[in-house]
Amino acid sequence: MSTSNRRSLPLFALLSVVVVLAVLWVGVKFQRPDAAASTPAAEAAAPEGRTVTHGQGTTVVPLKPRRVVVFDLVALDILQALEVDVHGVAGDMFPQHLTRFRDAKYPRLGTLFEPDYEALQAAKPDLIITGGRSSAKYANLSRIAPTIDVPMSGKDFIASVIANTEMLASVFGKEEKARGLIEDLRKSVADLQQVTAPRGKGLVVLVTGGRMSAYGPGSRFGVIHGDFGVPEAAEGLRTSLHGESISAEFIREKNPDWLFVIDRDAATGQKEGNARQVLDNELVRQTTAWQKNQVVYLDPGITYLTGGGIQSVKQLRDQVASAYAQAQ
Amino acid sequence: MKRAFAAAAVLVTLAVVSLLIGASDVSWRALFAPEPDERALQVLVISRLPRMFAVMLAGTSLGVAGLIMQMIARNRFVEPTTAGTAESASLGLLTATLLAPGLPVLGKMMVATVFALAGTALFLLVLRRIPLRSALIVPVVGLILGGIIDSATTFFAYRYDLLQTVNAWTTGDFSTVLRGRYELLWVTLGLTCAAYTAADRFTVAGMGETFTTNLGLNYPRIVALGLLIVSLVTAMVVVTVGMIPFLGLIVPNLVSMVMGDNARRSIPWVAVSGAAFVLLCDIVGRVVGHPYEIPGGTIAGVIGSVLFLYLLLKRGARVG
Repeated sequence: MSTSNRRSLPLFALLSVVVVLAVLWVGVKFQRPDAAASTPAAEAAAPEGRTVTHGQGTTVVPLKPRRVVVFDLVALDILQALEVDVHGVAGDMFPQHLTRFRDAKYPRLGTLFEPDYEALQAAKPDLIITGGRSSAKYANLSRIAPTIDVPMSGKDFIASVIANTEMLASVFGKEEKARGLIEDLRKSVADLQQVTAPRGKGLVVLVTGGRMSAYGPGSRFGVIHGDFGVPEAAEGLRTSLHGESISAEFIREKNPDWLFVIDRDAATGQKEGNARQVLDNELVRQTTAWQKNQVVYLDPGITYLTGGGIQSVKQLRDQVASAYAQAQ
Repeated sequence: MKRAFAAAAVLVTLAVVSLLIGASDVSWRALFAPEPDERALQVLVISRLPRMFAVMLAGTSLGVAGLIMQMIARNRFVEPTTAGTAESASLGLLTATLLAPGLPVLGKMMVATVFALAGTALFLLVLRRIPLRSALIVPVVGLILGGIIDSATTFFAYRYDLLQTVNAWTTGDFSTVLRGRYELLWVTLGLTCAAYTAADRFTVAGMGETFTTNLGLNYPRIVALGLLIVSLVTAMVVVTVGMIPFLGLIVPNLVSMVMGDNARRSIPWVAVSGAAFVLLCDIVGRVVGHPYEIPGGTIAGVIGSVLFLYLLLKRGARVG
C-alpha cells in the first residue's frame, strides 16, 4: 500500500503540474479575444478622427495615423509617392522601386494572402491598409485596428489610380503632394495617347509556365488600350482575371503591330527570358510586331505586382513611350 | 474486322477535324485551291500537324500506361492520376525548377521520371500492407497518397509563387504545341510499342504474383518494367503538355468491357481509343470559346469524371 503510494507520488505531482498548466493555458486563451476586442472599440470611440470612404465601406481613421501597416503593394507604391512613412509591410516580393521595404526595419507581417496576426498585434497599428490580394482579409484585419481597403483598378484604370491616390492623400493630409502627382500623370498619359493612336494596333500577352493568355481593355492590363490609347489588335477580349488562353496561331492571325509582353514568371522571382522563349517561334516571328522589332517586354514588377500604383503606372507609361520613341 | 474499320474511320475523322480547327483559317479550300494559300499551309505544318500528333501521342501513351497500372495493381480504378504518379512527376518538376532552374527540358524530365517512379513504387508498397484490398480501397489509397504529394507541391509552389506554373503541368493544354516543341512525345510511341511487346507478361502479372511465379516468370521484373514505362510516359506528358486526368482509367475500362482482359488484344484498342478521346477533348476545347481556348485537359476532366462515376456506380462492375 505504502509502496504503491510512494511510487504514484511523482506521477501525481507531474499530473497536477500538467493540469495547472492546462488551466493557465485555457485561461490565457479565453482572455485573449476580450483583450483584442476591446482595443478597436476604444479606438472607434475616440473623438478625433475622420470618416474615409474606401473599397469596403467607410471607416473612422485617426487624424494623424503614425503606425500604418500596409497589406497591399499598390497602396505601398502610392504611399511612397506621397512621402508617407510606413510602419510595417507584408509579403516578400517587392518590385524594383519598393525594394527598400525589404529592410528589416519594416516588420514583416505575414504575406498578402495570409496576415501574421501575432506579429500584427505586436505591431500595434493605428491604421491598416488592405487592397488587391489582401482585400479578402479585410473583415479579420478590421477587428484589430481601423482598416481601409484600396479597391482594384478597374475599367477606367488611370481614373481609379487617381481616385485611390486622392483617397490615401486625404487620410494623411497630403492633398497638395497628390495634386502634383496626378497633374503630372494626367498630362503624360495624354501626351502618350497622341503618340500611340496612329502607330498601329497592339496586343497584351501574359506568359506563365509556357502558356499564353491575352488581355483586353478593361482587364487588369487594360490601361495599355484604355488609357495609353493603343488600338486593339484583337477585339472582344473578355476582362476575366486570367485573360483568355491563346495560341501562337492566334497572335499571328491578329498580327499586332505592337506586342506587349508580361513575363509573369519573372515578376515572381524566377529567371527571366521564359516569355522570350515561348514567343520566339515560327508563327509569332511572322507578325509585324516581331519583324519591326516592336515587341515590348513590360517590366513585370510594375505591371504584375503594383499595376495600380501611381508610380508604377507612370513608369509603365514611360516604358511604353520610350518603346514608341525608339521605334521611330 | 468491321470494328477495326469503324475505329479507324472515327480516328481519321477526328484527326482531320483537329487539323481544320483553330484560330487561323485552314480550310479545305485554302489548302487545295489551284493556288494554295501559303499562310494556311504554314499554319498546317508549323502548328496543326504537330498539335494533332502531340494529342494522339499523349492519348495513346496515357491510355496504355493506365492499362499497365491496372494490371500491376490488379485494380480497375488505378491510373497515373489516381495512384500518385502524376502528382509525383509534378513535384519532381517543381523540385527541378526550384533547385536547378537552368536545367534543359530533358534534365527536368529525368528528375520528374525519378519522382514518378518513387511515387508509384510507394503506392504499390502501401498497397501491399493493406490487408483488405477491396476494389474501392485501392484507388482511395492512391488518391490520398496523390493528395499528400500534391499538398507538398502546393506548399512549396505557394511559398515560391509558382502556383500558376504548377497549374500548367497539372492541366493538359495543347495550345502551345508547335513544331520543335513537342517532339519529346514521340518517345512515348516507343514506350507504347515496348508495352505491346511485353503485353503477355502484363496479362500474366495481372493474375497475381503467385500465379506469375508458378508460370516461371520473374514477377518483380515485370512490375519494374511496367513501372518504368508508366513513369516515363507520365513524366514526358507532364513536361511537354501537362496531365490529362482520368484518361488512363476510363479508356482501358471501356475497352475491356468490349474486348476482355487480354493485353495483347486490348493494347491496340486502348491506344486508338485514347488518341480519339484526347482528340475529341482538344477539339471541344478549341470550339467552345473560339478563337480562344479551353485546355483539353479541363475538358477531359469534365467528361472523364462523369464516365468515372458511371464506371463506379455501374451495377455489377467487375472489380479486383
